Amino acid sequence: MNLFTTRIILAAELRAWKHRLLKRGPVRLALLGLFLLVAAVTIGGAVFAAGATAGEFLPSARDTILAGGFTALSVLMLVIGFPTVIATLYVGRDLLQLVLAPIRPMEIFLARLLLAMSANLLISSLVLMGTLGVGVGSGAPLVFYPLAISLIFVQVLIVTALQAILMSLVLQWIPARLARDVAAAVAGLAGAGFYLAWNLTLRQSFTPRNRPDLPNLNTALQNVEWLPSAWPAHALSAVIAGRLGAAATWLVFSLALAGLTIAAAGIMYRRTLLAGLGVFGGPQAVWKRSTARPTVVVTRRGAGSPSRAIALKDWLSYRRDIRRLSRMLPAFLFPIGYALTFFRPSRSINGFWTEVFLFGFISMFLSSALATPSIPSEKRGFQLLRMAPMTMWQVIRAKVALTLPPVLVITLLFTIVVAAAGGSGFGQLAELSVLVIWLCVGFVSIGVSAGGIDPRFDASDDRRAVGVVGTLAGLGGAFGFGLLSVGAFALFVFGFAAAAGTAQLGGLPSTLTVGALMWVAGLALAAGAATVVGVLLWFANTRLRGFEAAIAAA
Amino acid sequence: MALPATEPHIAVEAQNLVKRYGVIRAVDGVSFQIHRGEIVGFLGANGAGKTTTLRMLCGLLTPTSGAALIDGIDIFTQPLEAKARLGYLDEEPFVHPHLTGREFLDYIADLYRMPRGPERQQRMERLLGLFELADRNGELIGAYSHGMRQKIGLASLLIREPSVLLLDEPTNGLDPRSARLVKDLLEELASLGTTVLLSTHILEVAQALCRRVAIIDRGHIVATGTMEELRAQAGAEHASLEDLFLKLTAGPESRELIERLLAPKQ
Repeated sequence: MNLFTTRIILAAELRAWKHRLLKRGPVRLALLGLFLLVAAVTIGGAVFAAGATAGEFLPSARDTILAGGFTALSVLMLVIGFPTVIATLYVGRDLLQLVLAPIRPMEIFLARLLLAMSANLLISSLVLMGTLGVGVGSGAPLVFYPLAISLIFVQVLIVTALQAILMSLVLQWIPARLARDVAAAVAGLAGAGFYLAWNLTLRQSFTPRNRPDLPNLNTALQNVEWLPSAWPAHALSAVIAGRLGAAATWLVFSLALAGLTIAAAGIMYRRTLLAGLGVFGGPQAVWKRSTARPTVVVTRRGAGSPSRAIALKDWLSYRRDIRRLSRMLPAFLFPIGYALTFFRPSRSINGFWTEVFLFGFISMFLSSALATPSIPSEKRGFQLLRMAPMTMWQVIRAKVALTLPPVLVITLLFTIVVAAAGGSGFGQLAELSVLVIWLCVGFVSIGVSAGGIDPRFDASDDRRAVGVVGTLAGLGGAFGFGLLSVGAFALFVFGFAAAAGTAQLGGLPSTLTVGALMWVAGLALAAGAATVVGVLLWFANTRLRGFEAAIAAA
Repeated sequence: MALPATEPHIAVEAQNLVKRYGVIRAVDGVSFQIHRGEIVGFLGANGAGKTTTLRMLCGLLTPTSGAALIDGIDIFTQPLEAKARLGYLDEEPFVHPHLTGREFLDYIADLYRMPRGPERQQRMERLLGLFELADRNGELIGAYSHGMRQKIGLASLLIREPSVLLLDEPTNGLDPRSARLVKDLLEELASLGTTVLLSTHILEVAQALCRRVAIIDRGHIVATGTMEELRAQAGAEHASLEDLFLKLTAGPESRELIERLLAPKQ
């Protein structure tokens, strides 16, 4: 094996990264630097402080905490970093250049594996901060720190190699064209599974209305201590405790595991590299030829509707796109996880206002998953819409109309089930349903707008389909709309009770006048919420009409 | 079906290549030989199997059965040796969008282990100048037009002087002057001993450049040989390559289809 080749590939990639970064211009670079600095100080600092506190005050739980941290890191990387690994190892025309060159697949694998670690390394920085915090809090010897950095790097390497193995395994049985989608679906399912497990076990330790349930947390974490993902943690906690023999043993175990995983991944990658190049997977395999003549349904009357055409195209392509469908899994499992939590009698979270916030959050979550990528997912096809005799406003309307039904149906169903199970009466159920419809319409419109404000038509991954401006506009808009809407809803509910003379408003009297005033204020807030949505829709429409950069990118 | 040999040394050989996708046979038993220094045109309708065959020949696609030899070396059993002799230009060239043209050529030269130094540098500059890319210094390939990407893709092949070139639509997207440049360049390279297999839809290019052509239709080679041999095969003495191509890949008569399409509505 020639490491010189690996170095050449890495050097070219680093140069490309540098160009990509410098392309942004000094102002955007400065803003990005500032954002990263703030994020590093606030998030990294908070995690470091939490680690230091745990290291100082929970000496008996250091090993458990580190094991939990390393295992959580592995799970997170396995799920979140998977698309990056697939893209780096199997997708990209620059990869085809490497395949054509007289280079061994193992050399390609090593170079691409190191590149594929980028997303996972970013995720691992949080655990690194926490681990360093534990070291500082425990007064660990100096050797702890370089060892912690090295072991986290090794852990990232192991998980990335595992992801390559998973993809190679999928490719043994699934055609390349489908393999990436199936692998993403597997990762999505794994993530959803872990989420459910989190809901049913660990999350209860952090129920906000009670004191943190540390024994439950400790017991749950002890259950994962045997996992190989916890081995580096055992090495580190042994170093803190001064048990150098144990530390060396766990270190050897971790390194041996890394060696084995990378070797297995390399061998499997060599076998599946050509099969995995989805771009050259050729046409979709046809296993049975249909003998029936295709029937074409032609509408006999009326003009063709562009909005209907877009909706139909989206519907047809969405249900054939396993990758996008797989990304909906967490969105669907999210409400199920909560429903399960509610139905556990000892842990039910009752209360009308808890449900209000929960439904608000779920409608926002589903909208962001489905509505936000709806415009950028047009990709190059967006040029067709630009050339067609239709306005961008029609495009936006069509996207909202298509995304709204699934979001509305899921959230409403969830609302009815949870509200009924929680003992809410018909009146409360009706109030909640009206709120949910309002929120769904608003959040879906905001999601579609966010995608229209800053679309990335060239993005291969839905999660990168919206730029920073669109993401911030979407988040800000959703936050503002949600707060104003829930505020308006509260004023309507309390105003109605005040008018009926049954409200308890502290110092305020419960009278018809106060009730009417609260209704007026509620209407003002609702108008404010509608304005937020309107402004975002207008902004999206304006940007789509004149956003030449996006068209060029497409 | 083998092309009739005109020279003793075979540079490219497809041996009964088959590529199957389920029940569909995209390429079905393609065989031919190309001799050193020849330019052979590879013609076929859309979806006939040209690109699939080329990708099997360069080792990007694994054939369901059959073998592909470059200078007598099997590309699947001895890939490193075969690939070192081969240059493949895809219809959409494989380039690194976030590198400049010069950086990309440098990268390719490194990948193929070309010795660094003034000679390599001079060759790179000559190629950039030849394809009018020298003044694009600092511009990323991602910002290039399709034609420019095609040119940098060609330059990345020529910098390392492969003995066999497999080109899929090399003049696609090029302006007339650049297309002429590529044609002259290929003729010059062939005269120096480089073997070229050229897939194209532009029959004038094939007729002007290629000593022999192979026509593929629905995964099968339906005709091979020089223009005279093809005319004899089709029984059309003065036919152009276009006439021969249409005759050998016969579908419904286009005139009849057009008349049916434009017939007055009832």
